[in-house]
Amino acid sequence: RHNGSQTAPLVPVSSVCVSFAGEIVVSEVNFVRKCMGTVTTRDDLWGKLICTNFKVSFVTHDPSRQVRKFQYCNRLLGDHDVPLACVEQLVTVNDTTGKQKVLLSNRKLKFSPTELIIYCKDFRILRFRFDESGPESAKKVCLAIAHYCQPADPLLLFGFEYVGKRYDGSSGDQISTADLSARLRTPLFDCSSDWDREIKRTGASEWRVCSLNEGYAVSPSLPEHFVVPVSLADQDLRQFSCSFAGQRIPLWCWNHPNGSALVRMASIRDVAHQRKLEQRVCSAVTRSHPKRSDVLQSNLDRSLPRIQDVQTSLVKLRQICVFGGSEESEDKWFSSMESSGWLENVRAFLQHSIEVVHMLEGRGMSVILQEEEDRDLSCVVSSLVQLMLDPHFRSIEGFQSLVQKEWVMAGHRFLDRCNHLKKSSKEESPLFLLFVDCVWQLMNQFPSAFEFTEIYLAVLCDSMWIPVFSTFLFNCPRQRAEHSRDFAQSRYLFLGEEKTLRFPPVWDWSQQFSHRDQALFNSPFYVGKRAAPCVQNGAVKTFKRTKKSYSSTLRGMPSMQNGMLGRHGSLPRRNSLILRFRPESPARREAPESTLDHFTRDWLSRPADPHGLLLPQLLPSHLKLWRLYFLRWVPEARIPHGGMVMALHKLSLLADEIETLQMKLRQYSGGPTPGCSSDRVTLSPEQRRMYFRGSPLPITPQQPEYLSSAFPFSPVGNLSRPEVLGTPLRKFLSGARLWLSSETLVNQTP
Amino acid sequence: MAEIESCFVFNASTKQSIFLCFQASNESLKMELLADVPLLPGEERVIGKYKDIIYICPFNGPVKGRVFITNYRLFFRSVDVDPAVTLNVPLGVISRVEKMGGASSRGENSYGLDITCKDMRNLRFALKQEGHSRRDIFDILFRYAFPLSHGLQLFAFLSQEKYQENGWTVYNPVQEFRRQGLPNDQWRITFLNNNYELCDTYPTILVVPYSASDEDLRKVATFRSRGRIPVLSWIHPENQAVITRCSQPLVGMSGKRNRDDERYLDIIRATNKMTSKLTIFDARPNVNAVANKATGGGYEGEDAYQNAELVFLDIHNIHVMRESLKKLKDIVYPNVEESHWLSSLESTHWLEHIKLVLSGAIQVADKISTGSSVVVHCSDGWDRTAQLTSLAMLMLDSYYRTFRGFQVLLEKEWISFGHKFASRIGHGDKNHADADRSPIFLQFIDCVWQMTKQFPTAFEFNERLLVAVLDHLYSCRFGTFLYNCESARDANEVKMKTVSLWSFINSDRASYINPFYTVEFVHVLYPVASMRHLELWVSYYIRWNPRIRQQVRKGQICSSSTHLLGSTSQDHICILQLCQRGCTSVKMRSYCKMGFNGVEMLLYF
Repeated sequence: RHNGSQTAPLVPVSSVCVSFAGEIVVSEVNFVRKCMGTVTTRDDLWGKLICTNFKVSFVTHDPSRQVRKFQYCNRLLGDHDVPLACVEQLVTVNDTTGKQKVLLSNRKLKFSPTELIIYCKDFRILRFRFDESGPESAKKVCLAIAHYCQPADPLLLFGFEYVGKRYDGSSGDQISTADLSARLRTPLFDCSSDWDREIKRTGASEWRVCSLNEGYAVSPSLPEHFVVPVSLADQDLRQFSCSFAGQRIPLWCWNHPNGSALVRMASIRDVAHQRKLEQRVCSAVTRSHPKRSDVLQSNLDRSLPRIQDVQTSLVKLRQICVFGGSEESEDKWFSSMESSGWLENVRAFLQHSIEVVHMLEGRGMSVILQEEEDRDLSCVVSSLVQLMLDPHFRSIEGFQSLVQKEWVMAGHRFLDRCNHLKKSSKEESPLFLLFVDCVWQLMNQFPSAFEFTEIYLAVLCDSMWIPVFSTFLFNCPRQRAEHSRDFAQSRYLFLGEEKTLRFPPVWDWSQQFSHRDQALFNSPFYVGKRAAPCVQNGAVKTFKRTKKSYSSTLRGMPSMQNGMLGRHGSLPRRNSLILRFRPESPARREAPESTLDHFTRDWLSRPADPHGLLLPQLLPSHLKLWRLYFLRWVPEARIPHGGMVMALHKLSLLADEIETLQMKLRQYSGGPTPGCSSDRVTLSPEQRRMYFRGSPLPITPQQPEYLSSAFPFSPVGNLSRPEVLGTPLRKFLSGARLWLSSETLVNQTP
Repeated sequence: MAEIESCFVFNASTKQSIFLCFQASNESLKMELLADVPLLPGEERVIGKYKDIIYICPFNGPVKGRVFITNYRLFFRSVDVDPAVTLNVPLGVISRVEKMGGASSRGENSYGLDITCKDMRNLRFALKQEGHSRRDIFDILFRYAFPLSHGLQLFAFLSQEKYQENGWTVYNPVQEFRRQGLPNDQWRITFLNNNYELCDTYPTILVVPYSASDEDLRKVATFRSRGRIPVLSWIHPENQAVITRCSQPLVGMSGKRNRDDERYLDIIRATNKMTSKLTIFDARPNVNAVANKATGGGYEGEDAYQNAELVFLDIHNIHVMRESLKKLKDIVYPNVEESHWLSSLESTHWLEHIKLVLSGAIQVADKISTGSSVVVHCSDGWDRTAQLTSLAMLMLDSYYRTFRGFQVLLEKEWISFGHKFASRIGHGDKNHADADRSPIFLQFIDCVWQMTKQFPTAFEFNERLLVAVLDHLYSCRFGTFLYNCESARDANEVKMKTVSLWSFINSDRASYINPFYTVEFVHVLYPVASMRHLELWVSYYIRWNPRIRQQVRKGQICSSSTHLLGSTSQDHICILQLCQRGCTSVKMRSYCKMGFNGVEMLLYF
């Protein structure tokens, strides 16, 4: 269909279930029909439904009629596979008796199901029919899925089998940690040297790495190494620790080039010493500021939505996105969106982050983010603040290190928030998705400032539901160590020098994708420094340089710059969050000429620098639904040959060609041509960054037929809603009750 | 667009702004206010420096300054504020001027003028209460903002602007029909309307079925409202399916029939062998079509038109659209409604109307591409019909998505076929409450914008062109959108006496080009007309708000494009040379040509 220059990866169609180390088939049933709609059609696929300890897999017998979920291929999952961790809810139905039941682990199923509907956490809905299959094995598979997607114990999560198998030596792909870290340039912040480098990079000379928590001796939820003010000795910290919730000593996050620091802190449990302790911490932070500037404490619990609110809004949003296209609800699309509150939550977090940014950059004050446990809201705010201020975190490596630093190491409870064990839905909250959505909003407004694409963000979110990555599997580093030890003991594995099992971090993308497919992560819009080395004749730009360029935007903000700002005070600004900062620190000064409004306006009056400060536009009219993520499985929301990917495609071809040309240039000028012998002027595939590549022939590459607004995802093969209308199945899919509460449905079952 | 600046704060560093048609240095400003504002050729001052006027900026509060008014614009510049706040408003955008407060009203700045504009903003000025200081300025403004109500000429007739290209040659109907492969064995070009005798709101050149005689056409004209008979707008190059447009049939209460009309529609159907049933798209809601019977109109009944099927597209009338836009303005100007933005937006129904228009056009395009001919009409066939045919043509024919093609499309489907621009916009007319005014054309441009958002590589022109078209829809600087129909334009010698908007646009083509544009192999573009994909066009409707980043300046564009190249300008030159040496593809050369004005798309996301 598309010409040869389009190197779209054609995935070899395998008709066997992809399985790998540690994966075992639990139960399977043949002659299953995977429905493409709610009525059975000729497009339906026939095949085998398999439940393993990792995923629900559908293997079709008819390789000619494969429907691909991805345009590109996930090494861990086939096109029709759903990891068990991604299953949100299972519903079994019996047509003849009209019975339906939400399946839970260890519950009985009194009827033979004629069909199984799987609701996924990534918004997909899959439907299988068992008309032609043996009723008993169908029932068995359904029960197996229900059982295995609700592991009774964290050690039963598939990641342990997956990683544990490597120690048997049977799988043959033993990789040592050294290999892994060589492949992976992302610092994981699990050793003191990573923190050291970060201190140096940000010029935080008044801060030091503290290894007090080695062996998790002090705090159960803190990492072994973290950064504290130089003025605080280990002894003091040990003493402080008992007063903080979870013994969490305040953590340094980041330093502004002007010396202001971003710090996060849990609440002080010991009321008697609260005041005193707060003062100690504040004065230590002040002492670490080159100008001894004041410290602002920002109480996140008081100014931001609760994690349960975030969960509720996502549940509502999912309702709207998946079912919201029907005629009657189409007219209410915007008000339903509003009532979900999702975008309002996104706005609240971004708004609060802007306020912190203002304090750090505009006022030159250090900020302490304060949250009850310092493990949820702080993760979102601190990473957003750093993304807005520091261009380093907008590169792929930088972004990954940011997540590693502010989420994984800071002890965000991924295990609980993802609800991998499906134990308590009260603990479940999509904070990480909310954060990624905020990042997307920034990226949407400043496409040239980010090295990665929205595809990268979507794939990152999806990876949460593949329970093999160290990133998303645990509540904190200590839990990982403990579970590793337990698992190793139970299996008689020898961990050697390392304290933990070698779970791959999600950043090891080759676990999931080929090198070729990973090119989809690189944004052609990025106005990056990546080409700098060759531009500067090998002189790599240092971070210092970048800092200089963006701190100059700081200095350029005298109040005279923008004459209209003098009257900010009289501006009606509805729902302003400006004053949400509680002046907890008595030392806070109010300098009228540098209010937030002034700050943003001044910033707006200058052209945005993709390597400088980014302040997102937060008028509600400027926040958008992240369509690629939320609407990708909805067939009728898909724009064939449309969407942002079209521009991405066009620009990728240009960028690719420029890379090729630059290579030629270097060759002509006799410079070094890395990885390339002198008579060949083509970049090796490994070197080319763009997924879409120009053709060597002087023909205009056509836009590939498969491009659509949902690229690289394809809604085909999942339930399409319009067909739902007017069918008996509609009652299952009509929404709220089903997805909101499984109880209601259970009660309906006789 | 170039001149319309509200509240635009500029300082020395933004001098490169492409939006400023004048570049002022602060020194000369202080010496002689406004001396450095270049007037357009033919523009004259009608009021000198009007001192001590206060512009009540809704965003920054009152700003003291000076005003002057020409026969084309109102210009305001602040004093004592650095950087200066300027307003540069073509008088054409003014829809209403009112006095606010009286000589005795109390309170600061309560006495002055309130100006309502057609482009989504209001301007308020306060003056000193003593000595009826506002009388002069009010009178002048009233007179020159509404010249037609005062026996004066529109500025377009006074302008002496000269451009290299003559925009009036952009559209040549015969040439355009020839491009479509017309005339052919089924369709002929007729000059029957040469003197506007058949239909005074149609163009002189029409394409009709070959087998319909002139006499037939005259008979059909008697049965169609205002003589607007079904004529061809577009023909599919392969399957020969046609889009024809007309007004409603004069069925009336009694359900009159007209054999000639029935036969004529059947002839249209028969021009294409694939069409077993001609689809008649009636843009109106069913009830409205029925209600029109009372005033002598109506729709094609099933019995009378046996080989046709009638589809109602449920698009509401001009009054509904006007009210909807009014509500929209309420929630975006001066402040964006923040607390319940999405539900407020929903309650304006603006996007819902956009959706209906788009989905109507999709249905038309879909019929055509499956090989079936269609007739499109509403009541008079100059509002909703123009929207539907032109949008369908934009979906079907990639030519109309080019820079030139789009101009042709507007000239053809809107201007020549008698969209009543004068009545809908009210050029130079003081009657702001005229029920004939309605933002139908704006709605169409919004639909085009929605399409450009969904297909970022399919259109050769960019958003800036759409904004420029809308700005000059009101400005009265060019003759393009003046008058209701071609006959009136002829009578007033518009082409002789005024400059075409396309002269202006085409002299600065580079500013309006979409760098993502990819020349496409032919395929139909189907936008998704679902609320999930429709967005408010914030960079148009909310552009006066200073809390929104102003559009990117040229200087920045340059830097982004060099960055994109990931190279220094020296590298850039080398690459250019490489291209010239023929080391690479044609495409690359076009990229280099695009060069520095290229990568401005960075701001459109």
